[in-house]
Amino acid sequence: MSKKSGAVLEREPPLREQSALTISRGGAAHQHTLRNIGLIAGYEFRKRVRQRSFIIVTIIMLVLVVLGACAPTAIQYFTATSSSQTKMVVVNNAGPIAGMNDAALSRFIGTALNGTATPATGTNTSGNPPYSIRIAPAGSSSSSLQKQVKDGALSILLVLDRAPNGDMHFTYYTNTSNSSLSEDPHLARVQAFAGQLNVLDKASRLGLTPTQTASLFAQPAFSAVNTGQNSRSVADTVTGYILAYVGILLIFMSIYLYGYGVATGVAEEKGSRIMEILVNAATPFQLMVGKIVGIGAAGLTQMAGFVVVGIGALLLQAPLKALLLGSSAGGLNLDVTGASVTLLLLLLVYFLLGFLLYATLFAAVGALVKRQEAVQNVVQPVIWFFMVGYLVSFIGISSPDAAWVKVISYIPFWTPTTMLMRIGTGAVAWWEIALTIALMLVAIFLCAVISARIYRYGVLMYGQKPGLRQLVKVVRGA
Amino acid sequence: MGLRVEHIDKSFAELHVITDLSMEVREGSLFGFLGPNGAGKTTTMRMILDILRPDSGRITWNGQDVSNVPRHNWGYLPEERGLYPKVEVEEQLLFLARLHGLSKSAARAHLDEWTQRFQVTEYRKKKVEELSKGNQQKIQFLATILHDPLILIMDEPFSGLDPINATILKEAFEEMHRRGKTIIFSTHQLEQVEELCQDVVIINKGQTIVQGSVREVKRQHGRNVARLKLDNDAEARWLEELPGVQVTKRRQDYIEMQIRANLNPNLIVEEALRRGGVISRFELTEPSLTDIFIEHVSEAPHPGVPATLSA
Repeated sequence: MSKKSGAVLEREPPLREQSALTISRGGAAHQHTLRNIGLIAGYEFRKRVRQRSFIIVTIIMLVLVVLGACAPTAIQYFTATSSSQTKMVVVNNAGPIAGMNDAALSRFIGTALNGTATPATGTNTSGNPPYSIRIAPAGSSSSSLQKQVKDGALSILLVLDRAPNGDMHFTYYTNTSNSSLSEDPHLARVQAFAGQLNVLDKASRLGLTPTQTASLFAQPAFSAVNTGQNSRSVADTVTGYILAYVGILLIFMSIYLYGYGVATGVAEEKGSRIMEILVNAATPFQLMVGKIVGIGAAGLTQMAGFVVVGIGALLLQAPLKALLLGSSAGGLNLDVTGASVTLLLLLLVYFLLGFLLYATLFAAVGALVKRQEAVQNVVQPVIWFFMVGYLVSFIGISSPDAAWVKVISYIPFWTPTTMLMRIGTGAVAWWEIALTIALMLVAIFLCAVISARIYRYGVLMYGQKPGLRQLVKVVRGA
Repeated sequence: MGLRVEHIDKSFAELHVITDLSMEVREGSLFGFLGPNGAGKTTTMRMILDILRPDSGRITWNGQDVSNVPRHNWGYLPEERGLYPKVEVEEQLLFLARLHGLSKSAARAHLDEWTQRFQVTEYRKKKVEELSKGNQQKIQFLATILHDPLILIMDEPFSGLDPINATILKEAFEEMHRRGKTIIFSTHQLEQVEELCQDVVIINKGQTIVQGSVREVKRQHGRNVARLKLDNDAEARWLEELPGVQVTKRRQDYIEMQIRANLNPNLIVEEALRRGGVISRFELTEPSLTDIFIEHVSEAPHPGVPATLSA
């Protein structure tokens, strides 16, 4: 008889053996399914929430959210307080224009250039109008003023003359770094009100009264009617777009982050071999569901935190503006109307459903890796699969009611982002929302069953990656 | 009654890993589960724990199929140690204990008792990865017993332990034994088996080779072991020509040989004296489990040795 060597077989069974390493189903742990899932989920939640990376990311994101909400206000504040005010001097050699003396002329030009919004009175007004206008007396030395423009003490010098035939003549002096005068933004504005002045002047010389002249400039009555279904206010539409954008981004980020977390968590338990003890105490299904629920709860808490802080920061903008600028006018105001609340609710719903669906996929994928470092490789296909929906939701924004967009929004894997985009930017019937939610629930159930089988198969297997045929057999037969 | 493994088979694809394996573990006994690497010990343990199911045959505990026995009755120390590296000791142990079915307060009470016993109280709030290997092993052991299981199944619990920790572990074994637990463990350190176990089984290639109490197994071996040291004849080559005598070991302090059961050991002494040897040592001992193990498991039997009996 041949002498066998001391039979030191490899610790991992050869590939053929791996098919039977599927963990048994049923068993005594089944009676405690809910309790076990609760325990595992709670443990996972606490573990995740206390992780340093979680805390750091949360803090960074919160800071970003608050900064983002305050950004419009800040920008307004800074532009208003900037000392770069355009100083303009007007030399009026043309005498009264359309019945306006110098003071009235100054007011006219001021209104034309600075707008009708007057900065609020009060001791802490820090907003200076963009243009400061001074009317120099008629006949002032043009050359000395031109020198001031050249030296930079003065931004613009405007000289008004009257030609012998009575028509007005405007001369505009400036010192700009732009390559050609046509790029000077101030020139366009001055030309605009110069044109108005010219018409006013000619009208008065033609004999029209100021009232008649004013009626010349009045806008006609113009009403626009939208015969489409959604009679949404401008505020609602804008809110809808913004919330849809933000929501889609949030969904993408969180599914990426937390789905990844599920996969790495499973791979880690395999790698640290604690899986051996866990499968003794609980069934693989309980382990999988518990993990998903726990991580999902942590993610939901984080998301909810962002949303709450974001809304709070946005609501703070109005009083903040009043404090800094003296008025809460201008800029972006997000009103929390009924429509936007619905949108937010649906955002949470779709996020939850999307996460649950993809989490089952990530769990199955995590159970199949051999080492933790391999997780990022196997996770990529799932992410790409998700990206389809993400891209569609951005491309489809221009045509949310197109047929192909609608079809894609019904496919559960791409529903969250696409539906959110459709709801935010267009009209979606209630039955469509209900239908997509129902479809997602069915998909979640199916994927959970399939993933549970793959989980049972892969979780104790430390060998190479299984072939596709092997997997199909496991899913069907187990 | 205890644990009964009856004629179980397990195959992976066409490879028969376990073939008609049977063994019996008396309730409350300390049971040594021996076999070379790859013999099927881990697979059998997993089947006992209902993590895997056999293709045929059954495994019962006190008459009840093991798949119906509640999980909190089982404690498992896997060969590949594993705990959450970045989680605190206390939190992990409480979680595992509760997952096995213990209430929160009971888990806490047990944790207090055992961390004191094992002198690891100061590490309770530390992350597992911060502990030394020996302490990690202790924590691993705690995870196995914390939920007060009836049956402990441990795969090489002593591997990697220094003598001090090994002693602590041994004492814990004995404490568990005193409390009436059934302990099944596998090991490669057969001296420990001789010291601790009442019953043993040796399996190889998925089959039971030998089973019974330690004493029975040794007696069945059918041979005695003698040790001889001669001051003036270190080699004693004449031993090899003696019928029924098989030299197995040559050491500085003695020459060890196996003698057929029906041979009178005095013959050796007579022969040594006849050749003028100065005997400084001669003793008869039982065969060691190591010898029995090696002989059963390696495929080359010693020539001149009668065929072994299996249980």
